[in-house]
Amino acid sequence: MIDDDKFFAWLDGELEPVEAAEMEAAVAADPKLARLAEEHRALAAKLKQTFDPIASVPVPDLLQATLRPSADVVDFVAAKRGRPMRALPQWTTIAATLVVGIFLGTMVPQLSGEPVAVQDGKLYAASSLDQALDTQLASAPQGNVRIGLTFRDGSGKICRSFSAPAGTGLACRSGNAWRLKGLFAAREDQGSQYRMAGTDPDLAALVDSTMVGEPLDAAAEKAELERNWR
Amino acid sequence: MDQPSSFGDQLAALLPRLRRFAHALSWNSTDADDLTQATIERALRSSGQWQHGTRLDSWCYRIMRNLWIDTARASARKAAREAPEEDGVRVSEDPREAMDAAVDLKRIMVAMAQLPDEQREVVALILIEGFGYREVSEMLGLPIGTVSSRLVRGRTALLAMVGEQ
Repeated sequence: MIDDDKFFAWLDGELEPVEAAEMEAAVAADPKLARLAEEHRALAAKLKQTFDPIASVPVPDLLQATLRPSADVVDFVAAKRGRPMRALPQWTTIAATLVVGIFLGTMVPQLSGEPVAVQDGKLYAASSLDQALDTQLASAPQGNVRIGLTFRDGSGKICRSFSAPAGTGLACRSGNAWRLKGLFAAREDQGSQYRMAGTDPDLAALVDSTMVGEPLDAAAEKAELERNWR
Repeated sequence: MDQPSSFGDQLAALLPRLRRFAHALSWNSTDADDLTQATIERALRSSGQWQHGTRLDSWCYRIMRNLWIDTARASARKAAREAPEEDGVRVSEDPREAMDAAVDLKRIMVAMAQLPDEQREVVALILIEGFGYREVSEMLGLPIGTVSSRLVRGRTALLAMVGEQ
């Protein structure tokens, strides 16, 4: 019986010439080994065939944008670990308020019913946005709203960041509703592409200033969903 | 002396390969692109730590792998367990849609997602990304024998799942 590690090292071209020649002779003399070598060569070829196209298709603009010199990249999870919380600039909230009109205008045709409702002068998620915040996990996007991070704010409320074709935002639990803390419209040149949370400095700043502790992992997120985000 | 822009250019050139690695690590296409993005961001912020004369690709792959372990692995594992039979509703750009939809290719992806993480990363780095055993051993900080035995177990399990046809 030959050594498995050595057989595969030979297959991967990792053996020194003398050892490789020995293994080559052993394989040639043993039809079972020769078949195994063929099966594994075919497997390796299939792996390449499966994953290589990912490296050949154009990289999405959102990823390319990360490398643009002007990109204001904020990794809020890492940033929070590394430095003290910074204050939420007043203009963030003001800007958020200003973009609501644009956000609503562009978002409505894509969703059934308006995604934002105003009650007592406060903004709440409605219809499909409300539903997405209630029921979706970050790992399982559905429809045209994607959930980003789920975490707790200073008062212990669950907050969730989200993105939709028209923009991104942050909502925190308020009773049985989701009160919107911010909405940020997508830039015009982004078309119907999603903004990713990490490339959106406005949302990152808001998340950064709202989050206490670490974002929930997938298991904790699911547990909170089952407890109805209490 | 390299300018910051040339570091960015080099990263840009690596982006397709990093993305391929991310998709091999993570079944979920959205997670994979988020991981790629986080890797680029981390690499940009840590560019001062990269030593000239060493391989930038290995350095970036290591960043990606560590980020994957730190933050994305829990959700990737979950996504793998709940791997959809069909694509369902996709809201992100999925490069796999541009691929041949041949059944055995899909089986390969499903099989990869079912491998234990420590086997999947070694299979991806060596059989897909084309690194040598020693390079992977240095990248992951593991003895070369460990890399080799994880690779044997991973590819043997893959073959059993995919069959030889």
